[in-house]
Amino acid sequence: MSSSAVPGPVGRPRGRRLPSLFRRQGWQAFLFVGPALLLLGVLIVYPMIRTSIYSFANLNSRLEVTRWIGFDNYTRLFTKDKSFLNLEEFPPSGALANNIKWMILYTSLSLLLGLLIAVLAARVRYESLLKAIVFVPMAIAATAVAIIWKFVYEPDPSLGSLNAFITTFGADPIAWYGRADTVNYALIFAYVWASTGFAMVVLSAALKGISEEVIEAARTDGANEWDIFRRIQLPLLSLPMAVITVWLLVNVIKVFDLIYVMTGGGPGGASEVIAVTMVDEFGNGEAGYSAAIAVVMMLLIIPIMAFNIRRFRSERVTG
Amino acid sequence: MMRRWFIPAALLAAMALALGACGGDDGGGTEEGDGSITVFSLWGGSEQEAFQKVLDQFTQDTGIETKYESVRDFLPVIRTRLAAGNPPDVAIIPRPGVVAELARDDALIPLEDMGLDPDTINENYSDTWTSLATVDDTLYGVVAKANSKSVIWYKPTSFQEEGFEIPTTWDQLLDITEQYNSKGKKPWAVGAQGRDNSWTLTDWFENIYARQAGNDNYTKLFNGDLPFNDQTVKDALTEMVKIVNDKYVAGGIDTALGITFVDGIGRVFSKNPVAEMYMEGGFVGGIALGDVNPDLEVGTDIDFFEWPTISEEHGNPLVGGGDVASAFVNNEDNKQLIEYLATPEAGTIWVSTGAIASPNEGVAEDAYPNDLVAKEAEQLKTAESFLFDGSDLLPGTLGQDFGTLLQNVIKTPNNMESLLDDFQAEAEAAFAGNQ
Repeated sequence: MSSSAVPGPVGRPRGRRLPSLFRRQGWQAFLFVGPALLLLGVLIVYPMIRTSIYSFANLNSRLEVTRWIGFDNYTRLFTKDKSFLNLEEFPPSGALANNIKWMILYTSLSLLLGLLIAVLAARVRYESLLKAIVFVPMAIAATAVAIIWKFVYEPDPSLGSLNAFITTFGADPIAWYGRADTVNYALIFAYVWASTGFAMVVLSAALKGISEEVIEAARTDGANEWDIFRRIQLPLLSLPMAVITVWLLVNVIKVFDLIYVMTGGGPGGASEVIAVTMVDEFGNGEAGYSAAIAVVMMLLIIPIMAFNIRRFRSERVTG
Repeated sequence: MMRRWFIPAALLAAMALALGACGGDDGGGTEEGDGSITVFSLWGGSEQEAFQKVLDQFTQDTGIETKYESVRDFLPVIRTRLAAGNPPDVAIIPRPGVVAELARDDALIPLEDMGLDPDTINENYSDTWTSLATVDDTLYGVVAKANSKSVIWYKPTSFQEEGFEIPTTWDQLLDITEQYNSKGKKPWAVGAQGRDNSWTLTDWFENIYARQAGNDNYTKLFNGDLPFNDQTVKDALTEMVKIVNDKYVAGGIDTALGITFVDGIGRVFSKNPVAEMYMEGGFVGGIALGDVNPDLEVGTDIDFFEWPTISEEHGNPLVGGGDVASAFVNNEDNKQLIEYLATPEAGTIWVSTGAIASPNEGVAEDAYPNDLVAKEAEQLKTAESFLFDGSDLLPGTLGQDFGTLLQNVIKTPNNMESLLDDFQAEAEAAFAGNQ
């Protein structure tokens, strides 16, 4: 394996080497990846660069720079814009703080519920039916999910099923997304509902991949079911879990549609997130400011991506 | 490793930059149209149907096809299209603040450049309305639709049952509010969810402020000449939360912040009403009758009265709004449409749907199909003074953020001081950036 001429990511530099682009295999490879690179360049790299440049300027409606203002957009974002970040309250509030809340709650809940359902479903007769039901929300567009949950949370008990349910126990209806203290949890739960299926399917497939023999051997050695889960299944699931976590994190940093449709960031800006703020500011004619928000979002995603890439590389080493 | 990727990627980026720099040159003068016009507006439902009738007549008269696009996220979409160099032909812009911004960016076509005579276009409109479409002495469009926001919707039969008179003073309105409440009926509904519906709160505020602090202060406040943490603002908000509070609003403030403007109408005028009165503009009638509950009888199930007076001194100014139809592309087709929208004929077709009141003075009173819109049109014509919806005049994000501020005020009236101080800091920056 290590004697292969293709320099793998862990290949040790050996002897004299030409710059890879000019070596035969180098440019051949470039020919293959060229079309993909072209697309990535035009659709991702170029907009990224241009957005970054815009974030240092004031722009008019045609996106022509009217004034270069250095880091003013960023200073405004982090120090003056309380709807983005408000450190005067504890815990801090604002779009950035909300995104962090989302990252923690949404990611852990989707992952844990997915794991739980994957592990438990494997033990019942109607496994495939059960999994199909949990997976269905994945097939629903996020805006449709938003509309569904808008009805669930509707303050009027004659329309909102959740309030209809709690009022049968004599409780007062709760305006789930009209209250600053419930709105984020209501939204996060709706999104967890929509993503658990993904975590479940991946983890369930990974579980099936664990050899029965290993588990039988453990049973013979006297391991109980908890030990099997804790010491065999869980460690073997750590890679798919890491992949799902990354996917969920990236998904949640850019969360937009659900919130935009359900609350528009309200009430009083309580459910603002980065992406919603970005679109609103753009609509208000603040293209430069909006670009700065986009850059912040990108900077949040990059470390997660980098972790993911490193993780894949290390897998190749061990694999 | 990274570098090998980076060189081709950077090359591509540079190529794309060069490509992006080409294209997009502006030809002067009015060009031939292609026989079809795209019109953007945020109206949907009954408002859209009404406007479609006007467009249909235009197509019949001129043979120019029209394509109406209902754009709910109006501002982001219009800005995206502009940035891409692909604006719609004509758009109906809901906020004069935005008209001014777009005009100053040269995104809108002055009517004169299209070969239209501003005086002829303005013939049937009073200065109040033409000023909305005029930026730096240049006319950029036609006020397509006008509405009064100084109205309160109620149920005449319910008033009769309780023996209430139409209130003419704020105190009388507060009294009715309390009486409804003491009889176990929720007096008010409010729908102010999220960013898209918080304007109902700014309308509440504007009506109170204009009546309590007067027209001069109103104009100063929304032009940045009076701080938002001024005592007059606090006084107006103090009055506002006498009604917009947990006690008097059906479902409390949490519900008010959880439902949309249209849901709010439903809470009063649907088949299962839970509240008695609703405060919003003349367009409520069209939506209530057209979308919420077509069985409503005008005059018994639904009607409106004018906002009551708060102080003798400042009387009863009318707070209202209007939408401006403006062209983004200079061609013959668009010219004809703008010209048509300014005619009494177009106004007459439009008002006959019952959806709107027209600011066009050439529209006859008997064109209105029901008393509600006729009454609104009358109110618009006879108002002692007219004030434009203040939050729509604020620059940039400020208009929306003002709505967000009011959401927070009604939620926690005790924090009013600090909320207003924060908002004032933001307003100063926004007005400074606008100069």
